[in-house]
Amino acid sequence: MMSPVPANDKKSKLLVYSIEECPVCGQKSKRPFVVGDYVTKEGAKCTKCSNATKVALIYAESTKPSG
Amino acid sequence: MLPSLSGIALQTTSSILSSINYNDLLTIMWVASFFVFFFYGTRLQTYNALREIGSGLNRLKVMKDKARKEAIDYLVNVGKAPNDPAQRVDQFLDYVTIMPVDMDPAGIVGKLDHIVNTNNDRVRTEVGALLGQSNQVTVSISENLLEVATALNQIHKIVRHFYLLGKKTNSYFTLIQLQMLMPMIIQEADALLNAVDSFKLGQPVGDGIGPVIVSRYMAGKDKRVIAKDTVLAMTEYKGRKLYVVKADGPMAYVGQPGVAIRKVVEEMGAKPTAIVMIDAALKLEGEKTGEIAEGVGAAIGGLGIEKFQIEEVATNHKVPLYAILVKQSLVEAITVMRKEIAEASDKVAQIVNRIIEEKTKEGDEVIVAGIGNTLGVAQ
Repeated sequence: MMSPVPANDKKSKLLVYSIEECPVCGQKSKRPFVVGDYVTKEGAKCTKCSNATKVALIYAESTKPSG
Repeated sequence: MLPSLSGIALQTTSSILSSINYNDLLTIMWVASFFVFFFYGTRLQTYNALREIGSGLNRLKVMKDKARKEAIDYLVNVGKAPNDPAQRVDQFLDYVTIMPVDMDPAGIVGKLDHIVNTNNDRVRTEVGALLGQSNQVTVSISENLLEVATALNQIHKIVRHFYLLGKKTNSYFTLIQLQMLMPMIIQEADALLNAVDSFKLGQPVGDGIGPVIVSRYMAGKDKRVIAKDTVLAMTEYKGRKLYVVKADGPMAYVGQPGVAIRKVVEEMGAKPTAIVMIDAALKLEGEKTGEIAEGVGAAIGGLGIEKFQIEEVATNHKVPLYAILVKQSLVEAITVMRKEIAEASDKVAQIVNRIIEEKTKEGDEVIVAGIGNTLGVAQ
């Protein structure tokens, strides 16, 4: 989901992602943040071992490629 | 035939002009400008300062109006306020908190704590009364949005006061000082306004890195409320008993970690051999976002009440305080958590484990506290 918060350079925007992690096999997946997400919230089933994942991190990345 | 007067004047002017050397003219202009700047320089700078401050003041007005509108919109659309909250919000923006007298500083922290608690309780009660629902996350976000709007309102009022005072008294020094401070004031106001979007969406902010890290130690453990808006979980790490403290998430709370740590030590009878605190810290210009700094002391900001309480407990019981700080700018601390900050969490968790292993031995007890706003971070 596109966040209206400007990035440091004020030109690019920030995209916010939720990172889901499987507590059993450690598999991580990244998806766009949706309102209602929070860290430790139960996520989708793990694509590797089918266990329930949990949101491990929520963070924003700049749309502008770094470097 | 006699020449006309205008003809004489024209002839005289042209003869003067032809006799003037352009170098002389430049010299005259230079000397004239020297006198103008000598006598009217301060006045010219005052006009320039007034113009620049005026433009900044307009920006601040736009910002505070936007923050107010966003707060009202949130109360109506998400909070389902049954009545128009605009009038109450306006009263809220002008509410003042009177700090205790500091002529006799003994016991001032207790007084300050009492006033801050009274204010926080009042804010929560009033916000709760404004809303048509009691969802804790919505109430906490509403509180934060109103605090942002209040802060911007105060900044605008103070800048306007000194602008008008300087204009009225024609005080060059008042205006020049304000003009020099304006870029930093605007930067801070901008950061506050940007925070509104993150708060509205319930996204974790950079300041929440401490809670993010300790929430991993709390996963799957029993949690209980130990102080206002603060939770405690007990767990084990390599034979050490850990008391893990954070604000109650995913609400936008900072909790009372000072009270929580005091209760763990003095009421629950824990005998910690270390207190490890994780917090966000403002970086200096040139430092990278997400850089980690280790140190000793109570890693906690705010007015100093919680810091005082933690230092007192640690000193009275001779418990070493270890601090881990994740560097970020003011904007990054109060807006959605940046990738660089989130990615520091693994490294910080490794440092916490290393400190526990190095500074304590099996059978010891350790307090681990994640400090910061826990919006979007449950446990």
